[in-house]
Parts: sequence; structure tokens; C-alpha cells
Amino acid sequence: MSEPVATNQTILVVGGGISGMTAALEAAECGKQVILVEKSPSVGGRVSQLYKYFPKMCFPTCGLEINLRRLKANRNIRLLTMAEVTRLEGEPGDYTATVRIRPRYVNENCTACGACAEAVEAEFDDEFHFGLKKRKGAYLPFTMAYPQRYVLDPRILGTEDAERAKAACKYGAIDLDMQEQTVELKVGAVVWATGWKPYDAARIQPYGYDRFKNVITSVELERIMDPNGPTGGRLVRPSDGKEAKNIAFIQCAGSRDRNHLKHCSRICCMASLKQATYLREKFGDEGKATIYYIDIRAIDRIEDFYARVKADPNVSFIKSKVASITEDRATGDVILHGVDTEGYHRYSNRHDLCVLAIGMEPSVPADQFPTELVVDENGFIQRDPANGAIFAAGCSEDALDVNRAVQSGTAAALKAIQVVNRVAGTEG
Amino acid sequence: MSDVKIGAYICKGCGLGERLDTAALAKIAEREGKAALAKEHDFLCSEQGVAMIREDIEKEGLNRIVIAACSRRAKTEAFGFDGDGVAVSRANLREGVIWARPDTEEARETTQEMAEDYVRMACAEVRHMTPPKPNPEAQTHRRILVVGGGVSGMTAALEAAKAGYEVTLVEKTGALGGMAARLHRRVPDHAPYADPQETGVEQMIREVEESPKIEVVLNARITRTSGAPGRFSADITTESGQTRTENFGAIVQASGFIPYDASKLPELGYGKTPDVVTQLELEELVRKADGGPIKRPSDGKEVRSVFFVQCAGQRSDKEGHLPYCSGFCCTASIKQAMYFRDQNPDIDTTILYTDLRTPGYLEDFYRSGQRKGVIFTKGVASEVRPADGGGAVVRFKDLILDEEVEAEADLVVLATGMIPNSGVDIEKPERREGQSDEDYQKALEEAKARMGLNPGEESVLNLQYRQGPDLPKLRYGFADSHFICFPYETRRTGIYTAGPVRRPMDIAQAIEDATGAALKAIQALENAGKGRAAHPRVGDLSYPSFRRDGCTQCKRCTVECPFGAIDEDEERYPVFNESRCRRCGTCMGACPVRVISFENYSVDTVGQQIKAVDIPDEFSEKPRILVLACENDAYPALDMAAQNGIHYSPFVRVVPVRCLGSVNTIWVTDALNSGYDGVILMGCQKGENYQCHFVKGSEMAHYRMGKIGDSLEQLQLEVERVQTYEVAITDIERAPRLINEMEQLIEKIGMSPFKF
Amino acid sequence: MSDLNAQMLERYRNNFLEEVEANVEEGEWVKMCMQCGVCSGSCPLGPYWEHPPQEIFMMIRAGKRDEVLKSESMWMCTSCYNCIVRCPRGLPITHIMHGLAHYAERLGLAPKQNPTRRFALMFWDNIAKYGRVNEALLSLKLYFMDGFSTGIKRALEMAPVGLGLFKAKRFNPMALIAHKGCKGKKDLQKILAKAREIELAKAAKFGG
Repeated sequence: MSEPVATNQTILVVGGGISGMTAALEAAECGKQVILVEKSPSVGGRVSQLYKYFPKMCFPTCGLEINLRRLKANRNIRLLTMAEVTRLEGEPGDYTATVRIRPRYVNENCTACGACAEAVEAEFDDEFHFGLKKRKGAYLPFTMAYPQRYVLDPRILGTEDAERAKAACKYGAIDLDMQEQTVELKVGAVVWATGWKPYDAARIQPYGYDRFKNVITSVELERIMDPNGPTGGRLVRPSDGKEAKNIAFIQCAGSRDRNHLKHCSRICCMASLKQATYLREKFGDEGKATIYYIDIRAIDRIEDFYARVKADPNVSFIKSKVASITEDRATGDVILHGVDTEGYHRYSNRHDLCVLAIGMEPSVPADQFPTELVVDENGFIQRDPANGAIFAAGCSEDALDVNRAVQSGTAAALKAIQVVNRVAGTEG
Repeated sequence: MSDVKIGAYICKGCGLGERLDTAALAKIAEREGKAALAKEHDFLCSEQGVAMIREDIEKEGLNRIVIAACSRRAKTEAFGFDGDGVAVSRANLREGVIWARPDTEEARETTQEMAEDYVRMACAEVRHMTPPKPNPEAQTHRRILVVGGGVSGMTAALEAAKAGYEVTLVEKTGALGGMAARLHRRVPDHAPYADPQETGVEQMIREVEESPKIEVVLNARITRTSGAPGRFSADITTESGQTRTENFGAIVQASGFIPYDASKLPELGYGKTPDVVTQLELEELVRKADGGPIKRPSDGKEVRSVFFVQCAGQRSDKEGHLPYCSGFCCTASIKQAMYFRDQNPDIDTTILYTDLRTPGYLEDFYRSGQRKGVIFTKGVASEVRPADGGGAVVRFKDLILDEEVEAEADLVVLATGMIPNSGVDIEKPERREGQSDEDYQKALEEAKARMGLNPGEESVLNLQYRQGPDLPKLRYGFADSHFICFPYETRRTGIYTAGPVRRPMDIAQAIEDATGAALKAIQALENAGKGRAAHPRVGDLSYPSFRRDGCTQCKRCTVECPFGAIDEDEERYPVFNESRCRRCGTCMGACPVRVISFENYSVDTVGQQIKAVDIPDEFSEKPRILVLACENDAYPALDMAAQNGIHYSPFVRVVPVRCLGSVNTIWVTDALNSGYDGVILMGCQKGENYQCHFVKGSEMAHYRMGKIGDSLEQLQLEVERVQTYEVAITDIERAPRLINEMEQLIEKIGMSPFKF
Repeated sequence: MSDLNAQMLERYRNNFLEEVEANVEEGEWVKMCMQCGVCSGSCPLGPYWEHPPQEIFMMIRAGKRDEVLKSESMWMCTSCYNCIVRCPRGLPITHIMHGLAHYAERLGLAPKQNPTRRFALMFWDNIAKYGRVNEALLSLKLYFMDGFSTGIKRALEMAPVGLGLFKAKRFNPMALIAHKGCKGKKDLQKILAKAREIELAKAAKFGG
């Protein structure tokens, strides 16, 4: 990577998740200049927090490694982390983006040796693990984090920890005086790929996510399965660390629901089918999964994955939106109440753990874009000429799975290239 | 090799200086590694460190650089001296040595030996590397060939044209528009997602026809395609028999789908009464009605009730059915029910489904259908039969009310699926001599899974490739990528599929898909022009070459190349089409006479590393274990293990390889011959859910290693000394364990007798 | 068969859903149900329902007119509104249940002996007469609705509760004889009569 000057032939990509990274890389590999802006200290986004991908059950970090290698090798991309676009003005071929860069307090000298983390005492909830684990006040966001540079939590600033970190670093990498910066960039086109966030599960009151320890979200389960995660990859439940051999999956937790998210989040059915296989992976015949669903949306050729999971006698399906969850205080077990609508059967089923297949909502609320954009009722950016040369990619555009998000990112990259090529006059 | 001038730089940062005798390492680089100069530095990746190296390159004329510091995965940008006649090798002393070892006095000696070997290896590697230069013959035609004039093909053509590229669009019928042109309306892709919207096909056709950059050839087929990205040559033959040959830089194949043949569904009444129709036939009825009441085919009576049967011949493992979901049919039925309800709310419309699939914003369309009074019934149809006096009776199990019921309707619409039009099966099994019945049957079954109901009778591209005339199929006939992260990954570089030939999809997705495919086509031709590799080794300038006089024309390389990049000339020598090549090295691994190599990756660059390792004598109790690790997954796994403080045997020497497929068995036998006690190969998952980035590389390696037993027997060595594993990038605990297990095994079976 | 019932049958022939949409309060929502069953599972009286709400919606769509209208199920609703709050499609289920019950009653199809129905009628008579519920009288009627001896039995069973209420001044037995009702109850009765007239006229316009 080098530092190309941003011009109106530069493409700005906002968001360093898989969609944004893809858009940036695909454009750069076409020879275009790209600035990639990422809010957090490292790229990779949501997929880097997943244990496995459906339907192949392969590891997201495998693709991340490839993408990082592409990124490291590409001199057309300039990456800004801890950066957010706060203003975006102009028109196709001529945008000015204002980017605010938060201080990392660690400069490029950092070798990721880890001495600062050893020196610092304060611990905070680890965002990467959804707070299921603690991390130090000086930290590498995750093992594969890129840039491979530590970050100081601003909360240790002004404490002795900050001084300890500084003293521990032999390379002059800790810079406690680092200030927030604002830069203005001139760009020709923008790919908006700020992705999604999990819906706030606590708002689904009857499921008691905020009251019962053994009700977790699907994204949290991915962390629990991670060998680097809070449980070291052991599939155990939060209340007592007991192996969770009998797990309930509740579909449409927050999705397809006018009380929460109106849209279908597309991925959650496949995600639960995938997670149902984790039980067999960990416990063989002793693992049991029950999937409570409205419609199983295993769309297109990955239907075969659904068929495969369905053939497992230890995975059962109940067509029902679970009405409520109660907790057995003595054991910590969760009891799901509802009606199986296929023929009307009431149930009160006991499970070790309940996983909410949590819905996707756009990361950036509709009224918080740095410029005016045409969005639909669910907050997803529309393909609309009024958006000029700002093209949505990935889950900014629709609730998408990884494959579709990458497809979307690739398409958005071409849309942006068309604009900068027009500016360059290479388009006839 | 006379002009090789090596500079070796040993970093003392990150604890290397404290844990290792770096002065000794520098000495080894000079004496054994024949480095022209060797320097230690406290903080090599710092500005000063990097500047020092740059200065040495300039002033001392260094052209080979050894960086003995952290893993090649770290500080990549700082140490990016490659290019301009300079080659770099990284000795992984941090993740590969000090982080993988305990910081104890007992461990010190073996840890130092580890580091010394890695310095020796890096010097040996870099000495045998040639900095790659782009092939001077690299060239590119900037015109793109799009095959198929439906929505996907037209989109690809338009989007490429808008980016400034010229396009030839070849359509086999007499008109553009494809299947979408037969539709009355399409499912909405714009808020509020409430009503069917114009298909937009006419406008699209107009744009294509008006674009000065797009040339449309109708009634034409591709009768021959040869070449490679940047220099494809295609014969376009029109119905009248005229053929013209043109050059292209890249190809988008948007050959669409074939509608499922509903006559295979007599149980659902198709063919028994004209009042049972497919979704596509209903579109025609609606178009025929031209805004007036829709009439049923049997007697022209106005339709008052319609029954839609979803998943007709789909999502079913019955013979002749499609095992997959075509993805578009739920919303298509909702749209079609709206045709009726919007016209006359007194018409009853019922959709019989098992899982209603309206993902994302299409949930709004489902709600709109309900609001318009479309009835949704969860159930499974068992029979559709003609009713007395026209129409049909549907017998079904209502899954909610749990009962068998019958319903009569004027019209029954079957939601049948799509079959990809992806050409012939290039991996079609042929009965081989000596093949058992069982194996042959298995091959036939695999072919069936691969091709699905695709008739595979006519080739789409007629590629003049050694490995067959069309793209490989993934499953059910779809010419899709097998990678979640890389949906455009193709096994025929420079040829990208788009639309329903890739996977089942609706119009909105096809448009997006085709836009992405157009980008990939542009990228492929641009990179081909610069002599740069395509994904995943993007930008790699090296390409394989072979020594013609040593070649035995065994054809292994041409057969085993996962990307069909190698053809054969008239004399049956391999022809490497470098812009088709992905630089995995599977050919190099396959070559029994070792005549294939890359400038910066060859039998020598790895072989010399293996030889450079110091082998202590049999009585030293210091075995040597060689690990050949896939650089994409196993190598990072070992790095990350060390990063997480997981230690492993100090007797291991790890060599990253581009792909396990590039491992030539000579490396393994040479290693054993020269006294290594064990060899471990770590590659990606193979088989149906392969994770190998080069598709078949890992599988080939496993296959080849399966046969190495003979060589071991000749050497009178235990077969367990060579192990081949599938290792994932997440195996940070397992990968070190596999190494330690080898150490224990050697302890049990004893050291190799081949120490010199 | 009541006249109204016969007329409705004739008018909507097989299409019960349309009939419900036209005649049942909030009936136009029935088609919006996606059969998730959260209503059925959320009902505190759930186990007592022969056909829970989501199933009733499906039955309406399947044209099971008699089974629905003669059902005791929707009379089970106690207006707790759990279902409405949770319904992902925003169906006003409570209202639909009452609407269906009411419609069944108008058609004369409601199960005559259903206690909720009988209580509802008693309650209506009571409140329409006094403009305010005469609790003592209502309870008395309720106890004795199945005859004298069961009435005595029920009254005795409930005596301790009554006594407690009495002590807490929440129950006044004198109301049995001296319940005044609200002010202007005559006017209220007039209002109600007029409302009924309008409602019937509306129904008549539909042909009902």
C-alpha cells in the first residue's frame, strides 16, 4: 500500500467488512485508486466474528487471509482505520468527503510484539467477543487483525496504565498525544458498505435475553464456538458452563416482525441450520437441536444443505414462532412455550440453551448518513439515480449472505469505476 | 546465477535479540548462506531499518534480500522490496521460532538451531529465486464477448460499455430479451415493494441497440473459442452458416436457464388438461389477455379462481425432480396472483406452499400479496386432476389444519424451476479399462449430481481447451464458484458466468450478478495485458515455464491443472497459457521429471531450502521434521498458534508452499534421503466441500502422497514418517499438535538411518 | 337457521373470508396472518382453546364457516392483549375474536350454552339497564344461571370472597334491592336504542 493522492478519479469505499473490502480490492485490481475507510481499528467486519460459513462449513478467516494478502500487496489502496465519513458533498465525479480519524495512540512503529498489553492492567469488555470475554486496555482486536497494530483503549488515557504501556514499548509506537484528525478527500465515486448490526435482542421482551443467562444470540454462539473465543471453543452455556447439548434455535428473532424489523434477514435460517450441525460436531449423537421457525428459507441450490440437516434425526423442526421463554431457576434451563401450528400442538419444551437467530439491521440508521440517500422503510439504501455516484454494497443494500454481499460489492465497484472512468475520459 | 548478490538482515526487535544469538545468525548468513553482507538491526521494520536496506540495495547492488525477522505475513508493506530486479525471502524467526518456543534455558540451544536453519533456508531460497518480470508477450484485446442476450447478458454488456469497453453480444435466438421478455411484469426491486413492476426489458434492449460500444449478433452461436484472457479468439457462427472470427479480452457467459419440463409432472395434472399451466405459460396467457380478463385455455372461460402449486418438481429427491429451490418462484406466484387480484378482486387466488421464501425486502411483497387478498396455504399437493366442466381439482394436505382436502380452480399454475443452460459435462465419466462396476457407478452418480437435469447436449463456448469445451460444473449443472467469499472465482480464467447459469436467481439478482461479472471480465483482460495473475495470487508476475528437452510428454500437467490452463501442441508438448494460469504450481508438483518451474518458485527454491537445513547425526536426539504447509491456511494457522503462545517441537522446519498441489514428491524423497526423520504435508480440505483455493491442489497432493509408500519401502523407511493432513486456518491448536505427534512418533520408531 | 345466517350464506356462497371481512370487526386483517402461531402460544387461556386464533384464521381462509362460527374458541378471549402485542403482522387479534363472537351471535350460530356468551349477555343487559354494572345482581344471576341448587352451591363457595369484599367495602349487598344506576340512565338507554337502530340499518343495507 502506498499513499495515493485522492482525486476525482479516486473511489472511496466506506466500510471495511467483506463487502467493502471486496469492492475496494476488485476496483484496485482493475487498476483504480481506492481509499478504504473503516470505523473500527481493523478490517474484516462481521464475517471475521463468525466461526464457520454455511453451507460449506468452511472458515471465514480462510477467505479473510486471502483478502488481507490482496490488500497488503495492493499499492492502489489506502486504508484508513478508526475513521468515519462525517460529511459527503458534491456530485458524481466530484465529491468531497470529510473523514474523522480517531486516535489509536499507537503509531506505525508498532510491531505487534504485545509488550504493551502485558504491561497494562485495566480490562474491558472485548467487543470482538460481544463482551463475553475481557481484553486489556492495550489490545490487538483479534488474532488476525489488520493492520497488525495494537490499539489503546481511550479509557486508560490519563491513568498509570497509559504510562505503563508507553514505557513497555521499545519501539516508540505508543503516542499518548495523538489527536483526532479530520481530513477532506476528493473522490469521484463512493461505495457505501457500512453493513449491518445484530438487532438488539433485549427488545424482544418475551424471550428474556436481558433476564436469562442461557438465552443468547446467534452471533454470540459463533464466538463461543471459536477456539480463540471466550470458552476456548467449548460449546457451553453461560449460566454454569455446562455443556449445551440440547439447544433451541428461535428463527425470526427480530425479523419479519412489525414490532422489530419488518424485513426478512435472509441469513438466519441458514445460520441456524449451520449452528445445528455444531451440536453434532461437538457431541455426536448426544447433541440435540430444535429449530422453531415460520418458513425455512434455504434459498436456491443450498436447499441441499437444509435437506442434509433435516435428515439428521437429532435435529427437529417445529413450525412455530415461540411465544415466550421462562427460566427454571434451579437448573438454569430455559423453557420455551408456544404452539406448533402444524396441526395445533402446544408445547413447553426444556432446553439447555436458547439461541436467538437474530435479525440484521443496517449499521447506519436512515437519518444518520452523512449525505442524503434514498433508503427504504427498513433503512436499506435503494438503487436509485437520486443517489448519484454513491453505490450501496452488501448489507447496506439488503439483508444478504456473504456470497451475495461479495457479489454486491463487486457490482458496486464496477458502478464506481464507470464514474471515475468517465471523469478520466476513458469512457467514450 | 553469477550476478546474485544477497543481503541478509537480522532483526533484534520483538525479543529476537534477547532470545537469539543474532550475531551468530549473521555469521551463518555470510558463511553458509553466502550473503554478500549481513547486518543486525534493533528494529528492522522501522523507517531507519527499511531505509538502510534500500540504501544497501542501491549502493551495494544487492538483488536478493533475506529478512530474518517476523513472519512473511507481518510487515509485508515495510519489507516489500520485491520487483525491480530484487527478490525477497523471509526467515520467520518471530512467529516461527521464538514465539513457538518456551523462553527457558533448556530450550535455548534448540531454539537457536531452529533460527539458524531458517536463516540458511532463506538464503538458499532467495539464491534460487529470479525476480519475476511480466511476460513481454503479454497483450490484451479490450473487447469483451458476452454470450446470451437475456437480462444477464444485456446487463453485462451495458455495464461493461458504460465503463468504456467494447462488447460483442451474441444471442442464439432472433431477438434480445431472453426469458424476461416473455414476462408481463416482474417482481419489484424498489420500495415500497408492493406491486409488480415493468420488466424494463424493452428499455434495456433499446439501450443495448443504441450503445455505440455494443455490437449485437443475433441467431448466432459460438462455434469455437480458443486462447486465453487478453487473447481469446472466438468463432461466431450465424444460423445462415456464416462464421467470423474475432478476438476478445474476456468472456461473460450468460447462457441462462432452461425451464423445467412440466410434462414430467403428470401427477400434478400437467398435460392432462390445458388448465394446468406453468408460471411461464401463465405469463403468456396474461400477455395474450392484453389487459382484459384472463381466460382459461380449455374453453376460454374467464378465470375466477386460480391455484398456485409451489415447488412443483422442486425441492424433492424424486427421480426427475430438482433437488434445489429455484429461489424466484414464491415471489413470482405472488406477482401472478396479483395480476388477477389487481384486475378483479373477486377472483380467488390461493398459493399452496411449504416454506414461503420472500427474503429481505421481499417480505414486504408477501405482505402486499396478503393485503390484496391472496390466500396462502401451507400444504403439499399430492394430485391435480381435470375437473368436470373445465379447470382442475387439487388434492393436498393442509399442514396447518392437518387434513387432506380438495380444492377446485379454473386454473392451476405450477411453480416449476430453472435448469442451468451450462453446456456439456466436461468431466463425463467414460468406462475405463479395468474399472470396477462399483467405481463406474460412483462416477456416474457424481456426474448426475454435477449435471442435475442439464441435458448437456450442446456446448455453449466450444472451448478448444485440453480439458473440454465448456466450464466445469459445480452442482446440478450450475457453473458456479465453490467459494463463499469469492462467488466469481472461476476455473477457467477470464470466463465468468452470470445469471441463472451460475445459480438459481431472480431478475434483480441476475442484474447485480451480471454487473459483478462484467467487472471481473474487465479485470481479467486488464491484468492479462500486464502479465499479472488473476485471483487469488493477484498481481503475481511469475508464470510457469518448462524445459522442453526434458519433457516426456506424459501429460500429467495438462490433465491435473485445476484451471485447464495447459494445452498440448501438435507434438504433444504442454502449452502454458500464462494468462489462464493461476500460479498454484500444481503442474510443478505433477511433473515426474521436474521440468516445470516459476521464476520465483521452483523445485529448486524449495528443494534447496530442504537441503540447507543442518541435519544432526543419528545420536544427537535431535530429529528433523519437514513441514510443507499451504501458505493460505496451514502456515497462518502455525503463525497464529505461536501468536497465541502455543509451543511446538523445535525439530520442525516449516516451508510454506503456494498450494499443496505444488509439492513435488522429489522434495519428500530428497528430504528422507538426506536424513529428515519425518515429513508432514499440511493442505486444505479436499473433496466435496473443498476449501483448497486452487480447487484440486490439496486433493492431488493427497493422491500423490498416497503412492509414496513404494518409495519409502525402497528406502526401507516406515510409511508413518510421511503424513498428509487437511489443516484449516483455525487449527491453531491442532496444527502444532500434529507436529508434536510426529516428534513422539519418531521417538517411538527411532531416528532415520539416513543421516550423513 | 336464522334469516340473517341464510342471507349471509347465500351472499358469500363459499367465500367465508369475504364474509368475515365485510361483517366482522377488524375482519379485513384475517388475511394478513402468516401462521406463526405466536398468538396461540401467548394466550393465557391457551390450553382451553379448541381452535387457537391462528388456526381460526386458517379455518376462515379454508372456508370452514360452521366450524368457526359455532366454535366456543373465540369466546375464550379475556382481552389480555398479549397476542396483539406480540403479533408480528400487527393483527388486532383480540378485536377479531370479539368480532367473530359477536357476528356468530348475530347470526344465531353462537353456542347457546357457552358460559362466556351467557355472561356477556347478562353483563350487557345489566349495564344497559343501569348505566353502571350492578355487581351484586350480576353475580347473583351468574351463580343461578344453571338452576337453583347449583346457584346455592356456587354462592356458598364464593361466600368467603364476598365476605372479604364486604369487609373491604368493595361489595354492598344492599345494591340487590337499592341499586340506583347512573344519572340519566333513561337517556343512556335512548342512546343505546338509537345506536342499535343505526347498526341494524347498516346491517340491513348489507342485506343482513
